[in-house]
Amino acid sequence: MKKILTSILIIGLAAQSCTKVNENVYDKYSSKEFYASPQGADVALANVYSQVGGNWNGVGYAGADNGWYDLNSFSSDEQVIPHRRTGDWQLDFAQLYQRQWLPSMGIISNTWNWLYKSVYTANLAVDLLETSKADPAKIAEARVIRAFFYYLLIDDFGNVPFYTDNNITVDKLPQVDRKTVYDFIVKELTENVDKLSETKGGEYYGRFNKWAGYALLAKVYLNAEVYTGTPKWTECLAACNKIAQGGFSLHPGAANPASPLGYQYYELFGDKNPTDETILSMFVTVDIVSRNILTIRSLNGPNFNAVYGFSGWNGSIIPQEFYEKFADNDIRKKQFLIGAQPGGVNYTAEVSSLDDPGAFPDEGVRDTKFVPVLPMNGGGASNDFPIYRYADIMLMQAECNVRLGNAPAAKPFVDAVRQRAGLGALGADPTLIDVYNERGFELNWEGHRRQDMIRFNTFTLAHGFVPAVGDFRKLFPIPTSALNTNTNLKQNPGYN
Amino acid sequence: MKHISLFKYGLTVLSLLCATLTFAQNAPFTGKVVDENNQPLPGAVVRVKGTETATATDVSGAFRINSTQQAIVITVSFVGYDVAEKSLIANQPLNIQMQPNSKSLSEVVVVGYGTSRKSDLTGAVTNLGTKDLNPGPITNPLQQLSGRAAGVTITQTGSEPGASPSVRIRGITSLIGGNDPLVVVDGVQGNMDLLKQVPPSEIESVDILKDASATAIYGSRGAPGVIIVTTKKNKAGKTSVEYTANASVDVLTRELKELNANQWWEQAQLYNVPASSNHGSSTDWAGLLTQTGSTQNHTVAFGGGADKFSYRASVTGVLQTGTVIHSNYKNYIGRIQATQKALDDRLTLTMNLNSGVNDANFSPASVGRAAFTSNLYNNVYVARPTDPVLNPDGSYYTDPNVFQYINPYAVANTIVNKTHEDNMFGTLRADLQLTKGLTAGWFGSWRRINGNSGNYLPAMSTISTAVDNKGIANINNYHTDEKLNDISLNYKTDFGKHHLDAVAVYEYQIQSYNGNFAQAKGFINDIATYNALQLGDITKVTPGDFSSYKNDRKLVSYIGRINYSYNNRYLLTASFRRDGSSVFGVNHKWGDFPSASLAWRVDQESFMKDQRIFSTLKLRGGYGITGNQQGLYPQGSIPLVGSAPPVFFGGELISNFIASQNANSDLRWETRKQTNLGVDFGLFNDRLLGSVDVYTATTDNLLFNYSVPQPPFPYGSIQANVGSMVNKGLEVTLSYQVIRNNTTSLTLAGNATLLKNKVLNLSGSINGVPLNTNYVPRGGNSYLIEGYPAGVFNIIKHLGKDATNSETVIDQDGNGIIDQGDRSPDRVIAGQATPKYTFGFTPSFSYKNFDASMVWRGSGGNKIYNAIRANLSYFENLGKANVLQSAVPLGLYHSQYGSDLWLEDGSFIRWENLNLGYRIPISNSKYISSVRFSVTGNNLLLITKYTGADPEISTDGNNTTGIDNGIYPRTRTVALGLNVVFK
Repeated sequence: MKKILTSILIIGLAAQSCTKVNENVYDKYSSKEFYASPQGADVALANVYSQVGGNWNGVGYAGADNGWYDLNSFSSDEQVIPHRRTGDWQLDFAQLYQRQWLPSMGIISNTWNWLYKSVYTANLAVDLLETSKADPAKIAEARVIRAFFYYLLIDDFGNVPFYTDNNITVDKLPQVDRKTVYDFIVKELTENVDKLSETKGGEYYGRFNKWAGYALLAKVYLNAEVYTGTPKWTECLAACNKIAQGGFSLHPGAANPASPLGYQYYELFGDKNPTDETILSMFVTVDIVSRNILTIRSLNGPNFNAVYGFSGWNGSIIPQEFYEKFADNDIRKKQFLIGAQPGGVNYTAEVSSLDDPGAFPDEGVRDTKFVPVLPMNGGGASNDFPIYRYADIMLMQAECNVRLGNAPAAKPFVDAVRQRAGLGALGADPTLIDVYNERGFELNWEGHRRQDMIRFNTFTLAHGFVPAVGDFRKLFPIPTSALNTNTNLKQNPGYN
Repeated sequence: MKHISLFKYGLTVLSLLCATLTFAQNAPFTGKVVDENNQPLPGAVVRVKGTETATATDVSGAFRINSTQQAIVITVSFVGYDVAEKSLIANQPLNIQMQPNSKSLSEVVVVGYGTSRKSDLTGAVTNLGTKDLNPGPITNPLQQLSGRAAGVTITQTGSEPGASPSVRIRGITSLIGGNDPLVVVDGVQGNMDLLKQVPPSEIESVDILKDASATAIYGSRGAPGVIIVTTKKNKAGKTSVEYTANASVDVLTRELKELNANQWWEQAQLYNVPASSNHGSSTDWAGLLTQTGSTQNHTVAFGGGADKFSYRASVTGVLQTGTVIHSNYKNYIGRIQATQKALDDRLTLTMNLNSGVNDANFSPASVGRAAFTSNLYNNVYVARPTDPVLNPDGSYYTDPNVFQYINPYAVANTIVNKTHEDNMFGTLRADLQLTKGLTAGWFGSWRRINGNSGNYLPAMSTISTAVDNKGIANINNYHTDEKLNDISLNYKTDFGKHHLDAVAVYEYQIQSYNGNFAQAKGFINDIATYNALQLGDITKVTPGDFSSYKNDRKLVSYIGRINYSYNNRYLLTASFRRDGSSVFGVNHKWGDFPSASLAWRVDQESFMKDQRIFSTLKLRGGYGITGNQQGLYPQGSIPLVGSAPPVFFGGELISNFIASQNANSDLRWETRKQTNLGVDFGLFNDRLLGSVDVYTATTDNLLFNYSVPQPPFPYGSIQANVGSMVNKGLEVTLSYQVIRNNTTSLTLAGNATLLKNKVLNLSGSINGVPLNTNYVPRGGNSYLIEGYPAGVFNIIKHLGKDATNSETVIDQDGNGIIDQGDRSPDRVIAGQATPKYTFGFTPSFSYKNFDASMVWRGSGGNKIYNAIRANLSYFENLGKANVLQSAVPLGLYHSQYGSDLWLEDGSFIRWENLNLGYRIPISNSKYISSVRFSVTGNNLLLITKYTGADPEISTDGNNTTGIDNGIYPRTRTVALGLNVVFK
């Protein structure tokens, strides 16, 4: 009996020493401790910018595929990826161009998920920066970038879930009408843009400084009529004029053998966006931060291989109708490839079929606006991407003036942009169509086209060989995955 | 006087008695007991039937019995052998050869933290002895179980050297929580990879615990079932030296039939493929990449023992050359096991040391063009037959006009993909008898794995990323350290008709993992492969090129079990385990896992005495709760910040960090509640033996990455315990001895399993937030849908083709739009990915020294999405790839759908194994006691309607279950075996 007691005692002692099952973490930081530190708060702001860079899986603003850029570009008339007779390319891109998208389309849910993860990240940054009583400029910056994501959300989806506190539960998460979110964006921007740094480039390259903040505000006002029914041309013009105080000018466009495609104009789309014209950039170094696939995706394999040493993807093309609008002496037409090219390919403007059975391999005009810069590989190049640049702002100033009935005031802006591109000044004061077309020439493949087409009421019209569609296509549907997980969400009209 | 006479009389009786004894001593009954190898069996018990007389055999296996009879009948028994009954005639010595147990209800079964007589079992346990294991060129012990046990599905996908089969016990119990059973090898607990360290010919028995009343003793690791492997030990007083070898020739069986060069060109012209795509060769890519493989398996085992000491040692080498060139595998295992008694036999010490080294050259697992990625071999089907292998200058041919062109022969010859692993475990068990019936035990095991894998993709491999980067090299080092320590008390007692056996255990386990990864790109030549990463181009370093990790998991357990029986008829087993694990959320660190089961040995009842039909009859019933935690990784419940690719901020690249997961402090184990009812029976003097089990098992708190609304969640899913899933099944095992006599035996044995799986619920709530997860795609049109089996196919229906030969499909809802979304009404339910039934048929025959056995097995009721056939059937690809011959009659140019055109019946019957053996008894050799030769054929015949290479594809319940993306070729093997027992 004594022995039994002894052994029970031994077991008891042994057991006592080893009853803890707490988790030890060796190779990560606990988020609570991490974000409580000053470094953590800084990182939280930087982290929001890491959302901007484009990458695989439909993440980011531009530069990679299947995300926001593709959704807002391929649904317009400026580019399309046809399915190829050789079996290449899924039909999603052609369906976007044909405006036949369904709520279950992956590119739509990728965009939604990216934007809302960005909102979450921005909420976190705002919260952490405020809690740690950080520099007010940083808090303002976090608020402005959050407004940027909400602006992209209402632009694509209309009435959207809205929250600024990450601790909210889904049952308390309202779907707010477009105007309310618009009001929030305007309020956040007007309250915060003046707190932002005025520094251009350097430490603020790729960040929201004061001028980028005003550019965003101008964009929101520019589309206010679409979002709320009430135009804000005067306010837009005022915001644009603020940017003009930042000392921006059009980057030269002159011929220069050392420049990409032989013109200084194309330096705007090179490794670093020149700060004379660029207001907000997306920084790219392939495989490290983001990527830029826009040219490798366009060119046919042997063509890109012959010129750059990597196999092209034979994807995106310029629709013939869009290409043919460019004047032959427009230096902006130099970005396009048509006819015989190195690598034994011969691009033609006409495209026989977008989906079934698809286009022949060499069909379609290709685009090299972003002449690839190193480092580069088969997954893209390192060209930075201009989100906002001064030419865009100037055309916005022109547009506002025309819309406010002051076409003569608009003319210098349009002429400046045309003359930089090697064209003559307009013969008369610009019309809305002139501004619209000029935006098409100047800003093609930069992610603005869908928004412009909606604002100019051309979005649902027939173009190329796609027929007109209903007005409901001006909004994308809320993705099926979001509706499934949040049954309180209401689908946009026309998609049920 | 009277007293004296009485005394005298008594003496007389006594002397008479003595005389009788003396008489008997003059006429002894003697004999020698030997085992199946003609080795003496010391310690065998010899009883004279109808008397109390008994003796044991000595070291030479001899015995001697005295009797007054002229002839007696004796029974000889020895653990692990069938009881032999023989007639003995005085002064005529008899050699008695014992036969190892065939299935019988008297075997000892290892049940976890103890053993039980099979007749006392109350749960569903399959016990397989050496004789029940599949013979032949075995590289993994699981192959020995294939087709042998009801409810145990072993799936071998392809025959890649070093690749392990998967095993599922009673179906899929979990979605992400882990479906692999717990493996226990001589007390060491581990994952499936532990089996790699078991030499197949050194297995004494395998016990498979199936129902919860059997597995609940393993608590939070018991839900997917438990496989307990016991290796051979030496018997006291017996010396053995044995050599076992197998060598096989492995050949290809079914392959996909592709167009040859002429056929390709013929079709190419029909489909207007430009002549520039025809490069004029006639290449048999499949032939170039394949060869005749071989498998060799050698084991030298020896052991010895005395009264208080025994040991057994073995060295095994498994050498495999694959049918795809440059793929091979070598596994060497050395082990030694020793048992020592001390303290007047009260203390037993058992030590086990096992050390293994394995080296593998794996065939690249994931290569291909963007449109189709599979293992290397399946790229031979993509390559055009008209493409040359080499350029005129001897370099590997590649076609710049084809996006991401791959020359499979270049890949096979130039990629280096090596894995090296050192495996080691040691155990010590000490059992101390404290008083009669009370034993205290201590057991410790320590297992370590040091692994290293190196990978080099040179630019000349033609793989586009390797070409882009001018070579990619990486090294991955990983270390696993698993320690287990338990302290136990065991009490056994009998009082009256009561028998009680109780055990209490405290157990502590800690498993830690660490490792590192490094990668370099851009090499000026390929000489150093991955052995000198510093030779790479420093400017090509990108995030993710180097990393390291460390984590660990702890499991603390309190375990108790009581076995009680009354009058050997009514049996009760009750167990309880309380587990605490570090990997779960703070709110659920501890869980309780109880079980109880009852059995009634009806055959022991007096009312059964007079019937002659049932020789054995036992009814069993049990219920238990088990858990599942091994599929969860450490740190899954806590919010963490990890590294993210750098971000450009403040004018420079800076480190970036990211919240890596949604936190869930409620994360916990899945609980699996299982009820099992069973009957074991033996009819006609146990000629017909069988068991039938029915069960229902419900997994609650089903772990899954549930969809959560985004917003407000930053990620679209959270790992949580929400849903539930049920498995219901029926298992039947039968064996019938058609012939049973001294020279001949013929046994027909088989098993069959019916299995029904259903996802009951995927929705619920987390912290009051409702979840709505359903229609979760699992790849290849297989889904998780509430109310259907896990992996049910939900698919668009094929209709025909249009004017441009594009596939058309049925618009189920007639709205003119084919929606391929997950919940689209255009999809219809079309069968399941996991089999509804499996069966095995294992007849065996012996005549004198000749023996033969077969294994036939099969499964059915499942569908396979033949994705590789779809990939190789569209003529739009013809300009850059080859297509299947079967694509010609289909004539499909293009399809934007993955329709049910590619969904096929996955039922099959396979002639898995045929083994013929002949034992040459050698009685007059000084050195050799027996030699056995055998011939084994594997995968001799396959009966199936499935058109792919092999219908045995992944059914493991994970993603891609039921999808055929192309497998490593399945081989047919013919092996010669040799077994020599030395004296």
